[in-house]
Amino acid sequence: MTTTTPERAAARVADAVKVYGSGDTAVRALDGVDVTFPAGRFTAIMGPSGSGKSTLMHCAAGLDTLTSGSAHIGDTELGALDDRRLTLLRRDRVGFVFQAFNLVPTLTVAENITLPLDLAGRAGDREWIDALVDIVGLRDRLRHRPSELSGGQQQRVAVARAFAGRPDVVFADEPTGNLDSRSGAEVLGLLGRAVRQTARTVVMVTHDPVAAAHADEVLFLADGRLADRMPAPTADKVLDRMKAFEVRS
Amino acid sequence: MNAALRLSLASLRAHRRRFAGTFLAVFLGVAFLAGTLVMGDTLRASFGSMFGEATGGTDAVVRGADAITAPGEAQGVRRPVDVSLARTLARIPGAAAAAPDIQGAGRLVGADGTPVGGQGPPTLAGNWITDVRLNPYRIAEGRAPARPGEVVVNRGAARQGGLRIGDTTTLRTPDPVRVTIVGLATFGGQDGMAQVTFTGMTQADAEKYLTARPGRAASIQVRAAAGVSQRELVRRLAPALPEGVEAITGRQAARENTDLISGRFLTLFTTFLLVFSGVALLVATFSIHNTFAIVVAQRTRENALLRALGATRRQITATALAEAGAVALTASLAGLAGGIGVAAGLQALFPAIGFPFPDGALVIKTLSLVLPLAVGILVCLGSALLPALRAGRTAPLAALRETAVDTSGASRARALAGAALALGSLAATLTGVLVSPSLRTAGAGALLALAAFVVLGPVAATTAVRLLGGPLDRLRGVTGALARRNALRSPKRTAATASALMIGVAVVSLFTVFAASLKATMDQTVSRSFAGDIAVSTPSYGAGGSGLSPRLAPALRRLPEVETAVGLGRGVAEVNGDGRALTVTDPAALARAFDLGTVSGSLRDLGDDGIALTRTEAGRRHLRPGGRARLTFADGRTDTFTVRAVYDRSELVGDYVITRSAWAPHRTQDADRLVAVTLRPGVGADAGRAAVRRVAARYGHPEVQTREAYARSSAGGIDMMLSLVYALLALAVVIALLGIANTLTLAVHERTRELGLLRAVGQTRAQLRAMVRWESVLVAAFGTLGGLGLGAFLGWVLVKASDGASDTAFAFALPPVRLAVVALAGVLAGALAGLRPARRAARLDVLRAVATE
Repeated sequence: MTTTTPERAAARVADAVKVYGSGDTAVRALDGVDVTFPAGRFTAIMGPSGSGKSTLMHCAAGLDTLTSGSAHIGDTELGALDDRRLTLLRRDRVGFVFQAFNLVPTLTVAENITLPLDLAGRAGDREWIDALVDIVGLRDRLRHRPSELSGGQQQRVAVARAFAGRPDVVFADEPTGNLDSRSGAEVLGLLGRAVRQTARTVVMVTHDPVAAAHADEVLFLADGRLADRMPAPTADKVLDRMKAFEVRS
Repeated sequence: MNAALRLSLASLRAHRRRFAGTFLAVFLGVAFLAGTLVMGDTLRASFGSMFGEATGGTDAVVRGADAITAPGEAQGVRRPVDVSLARTLARIPGAAAAAPDIQGAGRLVGADGTPVGGQGPPTLAGNWITDVRLNPYRIAEGRAPARPGEVVVNRGAARQGGLRIGDTTTLRTPDPVRVTIVGLATFGGQDGMAQVTFTGMTQADAEKYLTARPGRAASIQVRAAAGVSQRELVRRLAPALPEGVEAITGRQAARENTDLISGRFLTLFTTFLLVFSGVALLVATFSIHNTFAIVVAQRTRENALLRALGATRRQITATALAEAGAVALTASLAGLAGGIGVAAGLQALFPAIGFPFPDGALVIKTLSLVLPLAVGILVCLGSALLPALRAGRTAPLAALRETAVDTSGASRARALAGAALALGSLAATLTGVLVSPSLRTAGAGALLALAAFVVLGPVAATTAVRLLGGPLDRLRGVTGALARRNALRSPKRTAATASALMIGVAVVSLFTVFAASLKATMDQTVSRSFAGDIAVSTPSYGAGGSGLSPRLAPALRRLPEVETAVGLGRGVAEVNGDGRALTVTDPAALARAFDLGTVSGSLRDLGDDGIALTRTEAGRRHLRPGGRARLTFADGRTDTFTVRAVYDRSELVGDYVITRSAWAPHRTQDADRLVAVTLRPGVGADAGRAAVRRVAARYGHPEVQTREAYARSSAGGIDMMLSLVYALLALAVVIALLGIANTLTLAVHERTRELGLLRAVGQTRAQLRAMVRWESVLVAAFGTLGGLGLGAFLGWVLVKASDGASDTAFAFALPPVRLAVVALAGVLAGALAGLRPARRAARLDVLRAVATE
């Protein structure tokens, strides 16, 4: 394994083990993973189905707890937090973009973007949010409901929401999984720009080599272990690497 | 097994919880209905066997043939028979024994000075019949009365009054009589005839105190010799009876008594309960319909898949209906068992809380089983019919739609239909209230109003929730905003959920408003008609009590503090052929203590052949001052009376007034129901009351009240009735709240992913719980306010229509405090209903919710 760069870590897991079930039916979704997600970088996690990539993301983001090992957001150890503190941490320091169903249907676009801030009772940074709205290009849609938006527009709202509170790290779980390639490219471009122009951190789980190519680095997971990492990925290189997994399995 | 049935059973097994609310709603409604029916039959049978017991040893009853019944009275007054007739009858071949039965009202005063019983069942006194088989009472301790002043008391009454053998106390007949208890009696092995109190005296005492003149009895009980049937005995007695006297068999006497109770009291009682179980079932209909509608909506994808795989519309509809049928059947069967349990429980409970019911085995008729079962199944299937049809219409290609915001409720057609209903209702009620007062027209209008509210619900829901929830945004931030918008998501669903509560609250407020109006009416009655300073009365209900001694008013008049004291006595006669209650009093003094309104003619000299009556009755009978009326009394005599005065207000005084001397020849056991006292100028109310109380104490401690206190206590019974009504309506409200809880639980289930998302982006569990709770409160507030409005309107209609349709002047009153309490209770109950769904929502696993595909 290559040595980690001495940059500040936005999130990391150490010796991460996650076991589902028990006894004979026990499944080790994560089997001793050490990963650091450096701040200001766009990291993609790839791997075949069942490799544990989603589990890794959920545990790193504080949505799920590890069976053993540790997970940190910044300097905060997640294992030590109860449900309430975890919730507050997610609200204040983590952003999320899911594959689908990212928005609350009863709230307008504007309200969805500021939802985590509203839940926290914070006003947030108006200029920053204003800038975000322009970056995602939804200024004329702010008063619309999610059901009046296309899938791509919905995901762009989700991206804006994820960055609204200036979180330490944004986790994106297959953010383009439900989109056509053009909308997908738009969303990925947004994530990439957010990282490079505003020094945010993004961790994205995907199975799409094209999507992974937008990242600064790709981590490959297989059978619950970190199998490989690829700095400066391109779609072709990622595709080749993925094929190697399929051949092997 | 058929595919539809198999599918529905499988889905029931999988989603048992979703139907818990439906099950409970049907269960409670059916249990209420079955319990009412079983209890009605059981009480009827118990009363039957009790009266059978009372006349068990009596083979024939000889009594006056004609009864005069005043309207509103349960039992007619019969002409008494001569005591001496008993000796004649006993000598007739076939008769083994005959005893006079001298009965009257006699209320015992307990050891602590308060009267015993009188809260509904009769308080009786009579002669202690020495023939053991003719007397339904048996001496349990002590002995029978032998000397003047000695009495036997039934054991229940003795215990209630804290009286023991050897104690001396007062018996109000209503003249106070000092009596010494020498024996305690039982009735059919029990401590008494249900809650009836009985005091047995010597025959001489009974004749002296319970009848106007000695030598007269209410009836004569005859026992047959061995081998003579009841009918045969009656046939043999007939030739010996004087004119106007009849003989009936003992069995017929028992049946008459039973019919009297079942025909009036029991029928009223069960009808009353049936109405409330109807309200509960109506409320249940809304809850059940809503549950099925939501379940079907949630199953759209599943049904679409089935349709795509080749299921027909009919099969899908049948699946949904079979599911409803299965829930209906199990819930109704459980409800039947519950109802029988409730009846058994109430039967045990009623005597403990002083309800006058005899005990006996539970009577479960086929109808009591079949009717609730059928109603339960019908209500459940009927409520599920529309959702089931909608399920059948699912398009095979119903896409994977996300739960978006549905505003279908506020359609133009619905608004128009609702407006039409509302207008129709307004027209009907206004006609029934103002134009030609009629309870029926007004009632039809009220039903239309209910329908209008239900139809307009979804239209109103959007606006109402937006308004009600307005402050929430500011008070509770995004949590409040989310709650409000969740309540607005499906106006149809919100309205249906709220409608159930609305109906419950509407009935509660209707009764609250009606009761307040009745109280105001009574208050107005007393303040308008009662011109005295002090009222003396004996509070009692139903057949209980014995009234006031007619000697009280003259005794009070002798007090230096008192200017006038007028007693109002009771009499009955047929006026030109119709039974009417008479007020027997001193008409000359009447106008000083009561405000009779405008009087034509003079009350001063009615004399022995004069009568005064109200203008309404005079108009009805085409009588004018100077006109003549024929009065037939219970003793069979008919006299012609001249109308000497016509007055306006009947409220306290009654419709007909005659003098005591005119009544004297026909009197039975005299009692005054009210004595009105005016004080001399300069005498304070407190001093006057104390003086009156000192004298009244000698006449069996009646209630002595100032005018204000009397007005208040006249309305006291209304509050008691209202509490009972609240208790009965609690069930309907509970069903409505279960409906809210159920709808919310289903909504939470439906929004699993959305809730997961909220949790993922930082909504705390507490915020999530608050959000669900506030949604519940909003729905409840909507239902409660609608119900309050509807109930107050219906109350107004009822009061105004009654006012127009009857002689009594009804006052309308809105009790703001009570209605505010109802509103608050409704909203709080909403918060309570939201507790469990909120907890369940908060337990949700964030990851599972987000990951649910």
